[in-house]
Amino acid sequence: MGSISRSISAVALTRRAIAALVVAATAWALLAYLRDPPWLIAITSGMRPETMDASGRHYRWMGGHASLFVPSDARLVSIPLRTTFDAPADQPVTVSITIDDRPVDRIVLTDAQWRLSSFRLPPRGPRRVRRVDIRVDRTRDDNRGAAVGDVTTVRTP
Amino acid sequence: MKSVIAAAGAVCLAAYVWVYATGLAPTPIRSDGFSYYVYVPSWFLYHDPTLASVANDCCGGEFPPYTAIIRWRGTGRWVNAHPIGVAVMQAPFFPIAHALTRWTNLSPDGFTLYYQHAIGVAGLFWTIAGLWTLGNVLRRYFTTGVSAAVLATILFGTNLFHYATFDSSYSHAYSFFLFAAFLYTIERCSRTPGLAAPALAGLVAGLIVLVRHTNVLVLLCFAPAFPRDMRRILVASAVLLLVVAPQLAIYYQATGRPIVSSYGELGFNFAQPRIFAVLFSPQKGLFFWSPLLLLACAGFAILAAAPHPARRFVAPAVIFLAVDAYVIASWWDWQFGASFGHRGFVDALPLFALGMAAFYQWAWAAPPRRHAVAGIVLCAIALNMFQTAQYWTHRLPFSDTTWDQYRAAFLRWH
Repeated sequence: MGSISRSISAVALTRRAIAALVVAATAWALLAYLRDPPWLIAITSGMRPETMDASGRHYRWMGGHASLFVPSDARLVSIPLRTTFDAPADQPVTVSITIDDRPVDRIVLTDAQWRLSSFRLPPRGPRRVRRVDIRVDRTRDDNRGAAVGDVTTVRTP
Repeated sequence: MKSVIAAAGAVCLAAYVWVYATGLAPTPIRSDGFSYYVYVPSWFLYHDPTLASVANDCCGGEFPPYTAIIRWRGTGRWVNAHPIGVAVMQAPFFPIAHALTRWTNLSPDGFTLYYQHAIGVAGLFWTIAGLWTLGNVLRRYFTTGVSAAVLATILFGTNLFHYATFDSSYSHAYSFFLFAAFLYTIERCSRTPGLAAPALAGLVAGLIVLVRHTNVLVLLCFAPAFPRDMRRILVASAVLLLVVAPQLAIYYQATGRPIVSSYGELGFNFAQPRIFAVLFSPQKGLFFWSPLLLLACAGFAILAAAPHPARRFVAPAVIFLAVDAYVIASWWDWQFGASFGHRGFVDALPLFALGMAAFYQWAWAAPPRRHAVAGIVLCAIALNMFQTAQYWTHRLPFSDTTWDQYRAAFLRWH
């Protein structure tokens, strides 16, 4: 009887080892995939759905902080920005932009006109995309920080 | 029982994926879910319990009014209408989300993709944990079949399913777990000697208060069910106070007082409670939207009349449910804003489960009765799931539903 129970526990151990291997391999594959997933370029955060102004320009309102991704082979990035000045007491809004947490531009919106933030990107890294974070130092009513127009990039030839 | 819990988890997860993959709901951390969660990034990313750093990052320095986080008059500091309990229970999910965020190079601000779904899944996890805990309590007093049937009815025949999936970042899934755990710890205190069980009861009781302050009433109502042993009562009370202390410290830091009404000027109108509306109206009536809970009420009567070991829970449960209904009906917004059914009662569903189990046991005893009850319950569950889908797809209003609107939408998809 002793040998039977030993063989059963050996089978159980083998099954557990296989299960652990499968879990580990799946986790490794998942992590490898999530390191640089192809869908990241389409991800934004901190922005509302797209809308259009009277001149036909598409834009999205951001709150205090928004992020988006641009292709890592882009050489130049341009982001149209504006905010509202509905009340006389409305203060200018300072917009700070970082690429992968490194500051690249800072502009002050002093009127309701569109302004263009353009900056060069550092040499490309190992990933497909780079993260652009946009922050404002104040927001208007309903947590509207700045309107962000269509982001354009000039890629490395 | 395990297979019922596993199936419940699988169905909830599938529904959660469907809700967010199809865009029926924008992001899990929204509305009340924002203010329940906001402590987590404040503690772990900004190391700032005042919430000011999150306000600077998310909102240009000022939380918008919809967040229910207000500047306290006199100190100018932020006071969150919603206490820290939900955030404490969400905290274990945060490091995983943060590590993945860093790994994928998403913005590590506490509100991007992985944080959102870690918090969404956290609510679902605590719902399933609540069902598992409730199942353990029920099986002490009822058969496995009855217990499993009750769990399925509570999840799919009430608005619990909605608060486990669509609005899983709200407090209700957390309170549901804690009420089930509270029943479990009370039952365990009376069964096992020593100080571990009272300490656990104190921990659960403290979290109940931390998640929703008015739920302190359940502790008062169930106090007589706690063993009369001064040493164990002291241990439970000490742990409870220890758990609640950080919340008092946060209030003190923000307002100069340890106990405040975090809702500011919003409050109760105890002289004019909307009892009928809260229980029976098409707007948000508890029994209108979850009629199966009437079976639980009948079950309480059956349990009270029988020499059943679970009978000792009847008086505390019924007293709490009555007082809770009065408190909810007295709140300035008795509908609790947008919700499917009346969300104020989701917390107390484990108490209803005791009555429902007694009713099912009674119905099980005679085959004709059993078949009739099974037929009614299955129809009510189907109706509830259909209406849940109608709510998710905006075919039912989020609040202020009128009888005419309900009748027009009844069993209609197009």
